[in-house]
Amino acid sequence: MDDLQFGKRNKRGDWTPTAVLEAAPLWVRPLNLGKILRWLVGYLWPWNTLYMALTLAYWYWVLPDVEVMQTVGWGWALRLYAVNAAAIFVLYGAFEYQLYVRRNQDYRFKYNGKFPADQPSDVFWFKSQNVDNFLRSFFVSIPLWTVVEVLFLWCFANGYVPWLSWSANPWYLAALLLLAPAIHEAHFFCIHRLIHTPLLYKWVHSIHHNSVNPTPWSSLSMHPVEAFLYHAVALWHLVLPSNPIVALFQLHMAGFGALNGHIGFDQVELTDGQAFESHAYAHYLHHKHFEVNYGGDQLVPLDVWFGTWHDGSPAGEARMQARFDKKRARLNPQ
Amino acid sequence: MPQWIDACASTDVEPEEVIRFDHAQQTFAIFRSPDDQYFCTAGLCTHEKVHLADGLVMDYEVECPKHSGAFDYRTGEARRAPVCVNLKTFPTKVENGRIHIEI
Repeated sequence: MDDLQFGKRNKRGDWTPTAVLEAAPLWVRPLNLGKILRWLVGYLWPWNTLYMALTLAYWYWVLPDVEVMQTVGWGWALRLYAVNAAAIFVLYGAFEYQLYVRRNQDYRFKYNGKFPADQPSDVFWFKSQNVDNFLRSFFVSIPLWTVVEVLFLWCFANGYVPWLSWSANPWYLAALLLLAPAIHEAHFFCIHRLIHTPLLYKWVHSIHHNSVNPTPWSSLSMHPVEAFLYHAVALWHLVLPSNPIVALFQLHMAGFGALNGHIGFDQVELTDGQAFESHAYAHYLHHKHFEVNYGGDQLVPLDVWFGTWHDGSPAGEARMQARFDKKRARLNPQ
Repeated sequence: MPQWIDACASTDVEPEEVIRFDHAQQTFAIFRSPDDQYFCTAGLCTHEKVHLADGLVMDYEVECPKHSGAFDYRTGEARRAPVCVNLKTFPTKVENGRIHIEI
């Protein structure tokens, strides 16, 4: 595919899409039904459908019986960790292998004109972004993902929180499932904004931001505090009346869904003429500019409301620059 | 008291390039602009203390290699987030094909 039909490449080799990012059309007035229906398709397919399929696969083939989950034990916890790690290895690894190892797409649709493997840096363990990100993912973040998973399953299994049944509450639970991405985005915005405060940024979040040029392995490369807070989104289902399947879906949107913002390519080519959207651009802009796009694709437009939205347009750039100029003036008194 | 230090040959720095110069436990970045003028700034980014000599120079800006923050190397002014604190700059002069900086 010719990516220059969809965007442009600068002197540095960085590619940017022509189309600017838009908040979910649910927030645009007057409502445009056609646009909402088209958006709804992208809302469900392919990513959230994949995370739901993984949730059902876990429910039927991975999770132990309720009686087992009533007691916290190393056996089922370690099994969950092994499955989580294996699933991440396969899913993230497939994108990493195709796009960054084999470089099947070369630089087409690649936001950053460099490949991290070609850029050894002292900020990473063993001077390698890939090795550093991989180790942090598998030995920090996925264990903490599993801790959250064990915690809410144990609570549901023991009846410490309401376990709503699908037969008695089909509409409520279906609505909760559909709202899970909104819960994810609101939770992510709040914790993300928190860890961008100066002290927490320095001690916690700077690790994730070492990857200015993110790849799939960067998705879960986090400090333990961030990894726990991030996956703790599933614990909202201990507060809201819910069902463990919905909570598991919520967790999977966080764990597996972290991939979306870190693919590094705007479109992933399937064939010469076919590609699917990564939905990575909003979060890529966050990795590039730091102080924009704390949330996601503005399903809940918190960045728009708080003035930190960068849609990739010159106007978005100007808004960011105006905020930056104010901050710079404050930090460089004349 | 400020003194002029012989840093390097003017040919050591290519146009739109930067080199690192260390002296008396300080590190500096020496730039050559597209119009063949020479500038010197503190060598480390004010954000996370990374050597700017490893960064990308385009026109009159240097981009930090770590987080892509940018400075105007002529004035030291921070130009792009995440860097917000300006860089210190040092006077330069060229004599007999050598670049001198005043520190």
